[in-house]
Amino acid sequence: MKDKISWTTCIKQFLRYASPYGYKLILAILALIFSNGIYAMNPSIEGSITTQLMKDVEEISKGVEGAHIHFDIVLKIIGILIICYLTRAAMILVSNFLLTNAIQSMMHDLRNALQRKIQRLPVRYFDNRAFGDVLSTVTNDVDTLSNGLQQTFTKAITGFLTFLLAFVMMFRINWKMGALALIILPLTALITKIFVGRSQKLFQLQQTNVGELNGKITELYGGFNEIILYNKQEDVKEQFKEVNERMAQSAFKAQFVSSLISPFVSLVTYLTIGAASVVGCIFVMQGSITVGSLQAFIRYIWQINEPLSQVSQLSAQVQASFAAMGRIFTLLEEEEEAQEGTASIVPEEMKGNVSFAHVQFGYGEDLLMKDVNFHVKSGQMVAIVGPTGAGKTTLMNLLLRFYDVKGGSIKIDGVDIRDMDRGKLHSLFSLVLQDTWLFHGSIYENIRYGNLNARKDEVIDAAKMANVHHFIRTLSHGYDSIINEDANNISQGEKQLLTIARAILKDPQILILDEATSSVDTRLERMLQDAMQKVMKGRTSFVIAHRLSTIKNADLILVMQDGNIIEQGTHESLLEQKGFYEQLYHSQFANGEIES
Amino acid sequence: MKLMLHYLKRYKLLFVLNVISVFGFALVELGIPTLISDMIDHGVQNQNESYLVQMGIKMAIISIIGVCGTILLGYCSAKISTSVTRDIRQDVFNKVQTFSHSEMNEFGVASLITRTNNDAFQIMMFLNIILKTALLTPVMMAVSFTLTTITSIKLSLIIVSTVPIIILGVILVAKISTPISEKQQSSLDGINRIFRENLTGIRVIRSFNNEQHETERFDEENVIFMNQSKKLFKLMSSTEPVFFLFMNLSSLLIYFTASHLINDGALQIGKVVAFMEYLFHAMFSVLLFCMVFMMYPRANVSAKRIEKVLNSKSSIQNGDEKEQEEEKRSVVFEHVDFVYPDGEEAVLKDISFEAKEGETIAFIGSTGSGKSTLIQLIPRFYDVSSGRILMNGVDVKDMDCQKLRNKIGFVPQKANLFSGTIEENIRFGKTDATMEEVVQAAKVAQAYDFIMEKPLQFKEKIVEGATNVSGGQRQRLSIARALVRKPEIYIYDDSFSALDFKTDAKLRGELKKQKTNEIVFIVAQRVSTIMDADKIIVLNEGKIVGAGTHKELLKNCRIYYEIAASQLSEEELQYEG
Repeated sequence: MKDKISWTTCIKQFLRYASPYGYKLILAILALIFSNGIYAMNPSIEGSITTQLMKDVEEISKGVEGAHIHFDIVLKIIGILIICYLTRAAMILVSNFLLTNAIQSMMHDLRNALQRKIQRLPVRYFDNRAFGDVLSTVTNDVDTLSNGLQQTFTKAITGFLTFLLAFVMMFRINWKMGALALIILPLTALITKIFVGRSQKLFQLQQTNVGELNGKITELYGGFNEIILYNKQEDVKEQFKEVNERMAQSAFKAQFVSSLISPFVSLVTYLTIGAASVVGCIFVMQGSITVGSLQAFIRYIWQINEPLSQVSQLSAQVQASFAAMGRIFTLLEEEEEAQEGTASIVPEEMKGNVSFAHVQFGYGEDLLMKDVNFHVKSGQMVAIVGPTGAGKTTLMNLLLRFYDVKGGSIKIDGVDIRDMDRGKLHSLFSLVLQDTWLFHGSIYENIRYGNLNARKDEVIDAAKMANVHHFIRTLSHGYDSIINEDANNISQGEKQLLTIARAILKDPQILILDEATSSVDTRLERMLQDAMQKVMKGRTSFVIAHRLSTIKNADLILVMQDGNIIEQGTHESLLEQKGFYEQLYHSQFANGEIES
Repeated sequence: MKLMLHYLKRYKLLFVLNVISVFGFALVELGIPTLISDMIDHGVQNQNESYLVQMGIKMAIISIIGVCGTILLGYCSAKISTSVTRDIRQDVFNKVQTFSHSEMNEFGVASLITRTNNDAFQIMMFLNIILKTALLTPVMMAVSFTLTTITSIKLSLIIVSTVPIIILGVILVAKISTPISEKQQSSLDGINRIFRENLTGIRVIRSFNNEQHETERFDEENVIFMNQSKKLFKLMSSTEPVFFLFMNLSSLLIYFTASHLINDGALQIGKVVAFMEYLFHAMFSVLLFCMVFMMYPRANVSAKRIEKVLNSKSSIQNGDEKEQEEEKRSVVFEHVDFVYPDGEEAVLKDISFEAKEGETIAFIGSTGSGKSTLIQLIPRFYDVSSGRILMNGVDVKDMDCQKLRNKIGFVPQKANLFSGTIEENIRFGKTDATMEEVVQAAKVAQAYDFIMEKPLQFKEKIVEGATNVSGGQRQRLSIARALVRKPEIYIYDDSFSALDFKTDAKLRGELKKQKTNEIVFIVAQRVSTIMDADKIIVLNEGKIVGAGTHKELLKNCRIYYEIAASQLSEEELQYEG
């Protein structure tokens, strides 16, 4: 497990994903700068109308000969403004469209990269991570980043430019007044500093309370049966009320404190405007600035107020985006497993002889398997038995190289599996697990998953062999019936038969059946076993089973306990040994007598 | 929206304060331009400096009033939104507590959790924004309109004329964006689904070498999502500049009209400056309103989801207890049929049997035979579709639910513990149980030994999700919890399958010793668990296909024989037969 990656790597990675859309991004930013330039000029141009009007009015009031409002000049300025407004709107639209295209394409690329990444990560990676966390990176984190870029990117650039240009314009109008307006900066900085720190702490507290509330709800809804049965409804309402109240309190505090920033920043702005207008009017009387300039100056102060009062909100969004970006790139930087091997093998010609020699393995520091040895000839059926946690599934995980051995070696037809291409190694196997994995799609697609090049008749043959063809035909849409998202529209046993059909279609050298029948009722189990017998014929097969009755006729039985093989042999020879297997066998079939 | 209004009613006073404080905000945002225009018209034109300073002070005063208003606004909106959310949450939670299993299954636990937490959160965010900003827009519009009207009706008409354009625009954007947003949402679900499948099926996918296929499948959905997102974001980001453009153009109209008015001597310059400022602020408030509008669809979806919970009614109603129970304990099923609320086919068909005081009745059958459903009818998790269930001679539908459930000790298939100590968890069954009773129950349930091995013994904490005890231990604690109640009827719904054979046998031996005149129902997979029951009922596809003792059934029930044959050795079958 890696720690969080550094910011520099994060930025570097980000730029790598941005580079295909570089020209769009640059054009977008240019358009944005252009539109901001126009925005900054607008108040001055608008002000010049006022100035013109003022001049004309003064002339009229002074009774100058032929004094009137110069409509031609006013109209000319209005014409200029119309062009300005239209250009600005067009520029913003261009910029937004380019940005949206670039950003959403980037997010698409990122999602694909994440999806490819999880296909190449070692299985080990998922041992100590909840699926939900990984899933949340692909959906929530990419979403946060997307929203962050989409909204804050433009806002941050616009805000910064507005701020800068407005000050430039203010100083151009009158440097003394500009200097007066500068006082906004330290005051705003101070206010932001005071409140942001506090509100962040409160938001963290709120987040903790959200977690607590969520935990409580999950527990109480999950324990619905018990609450009803033991008539505890009133009790849990009280319990919930307490947590809920705490949540409301902390949410209120967080919201209220963070809402304080904006009024205080505004107060500074208001007072600055007050001061600027008094001073400005005096300057107007002295004739050092025009009324239009004063009007423009005040508009500039309002323009500055906007980005300033948003600083805290923006910074929260930027922080969230960075955190999301950190998680995304941390996942993308995880080490992948090597796909290629040195040995050149032809999967079609492999026989399926499997041997484990002095295999050592452990998930953590400690070794679970210390010295595992066995040899299986092509076409044999091997059964693996033992209590839960004995390492039966681990053995199969090693064979498929989901994990690498820590000592010794595993060979197929004499070739060390670590020397094979992963793809070629996997092409030798079919896997049927207790946890029947099917995806949202038609039954046909799900069986064909075993061999994507299979023809329709081959798919149907596989279904027939797995004893599931008849069942499929009884469904209203036959092979086109859709398995829904939770795959709960068909029973567990039928799902299991489908996974067997899928395994058959692949036609592998080696078949692994991991507890494939344990969650199925007895009658369906017959059908399953029947199907399995057919499939196992002519292939090396490994069967992990709870019920010993299913494996009596195995060529080799491996008895496992605490990670190691403690006995091996056939059913008869193991019974004769009168060891652990014999005990296990009898405890399963004769437990009825224990109590009597 | 209705939902939010309903809850808002509880906070009328705060809401009124909220509205008043909005006016405070409007006062300063619009008051400052008015004062400036006065400064220009009276101060500058009359060269009156002291007037300017006076106005400056006035400005400072209304600034402070305005800021107080904004602070109060922040307070009210935060208070109202969090309080409303709290109330909604509590009501949803309380509602769920009245649910029966039908409603619980209809919504699903995961969905109810989201509704109680995330959906309520969405509403809080929305309310907070709407209280802060949405009220602002109409107030700003109205105030600036009034201020303009005082001086010039002509100019005020220009401001008013922008209103329908804005409203029309907002409606238009909503119309276009809703279907895109829905499509985007459903394709996001698709992305989530495929990615989850990729995670859960990681071994299968790799063993089939289908990584490339998965990548293509994912990309297909990903491209759809990208295209919808592009459309949506483009639309959303276009609204702001377009609205701005309209506002700007109307400001030019004001300039144009104003210059004519000035020419006629009907208007002063300062007023024009003020109008422009009004328009500018009204414009910003409209932008804020647009933001609110973008949030509305999401909040509305959340509100609807919450409303659905609040409006659903429990299908199980308390009985009126008109009949007296008999002295002797008994449970009788009379021609019971049962169909799940949205199911088509009956899960149970014509079930009749009788359990007398002190009897042990076992149910066996393949998955889907209806055995778990059958026993869930006894504590009224569901009501029968036809026929009836009598307990001590009274129809369970006529009994008070609490009273009925107090008679029953039900141990479900999947044991659920709550965070708290082990003792608290056992006491869950009977709040006023003595410590002795707790210990005794733990002993019988074979939980005593492992409890005593824990560092804090009975005071040991069970964490949320009970991950610090094993499945078998959890099951035994859940049995202890049922035992401490000393109920009239025990129901074990496949409760022993998480235990190993040895503990299972020992536990059942203990239970047998303790047993007096309670009625016991056991659902089981293992024949060995139920061989010695007084009566075994064999279910197949919802019907009773055999009833009797183990020996009788071996002889005359084919399905029972098949089940037994798959689990017991041949010698045993011979021996038993």
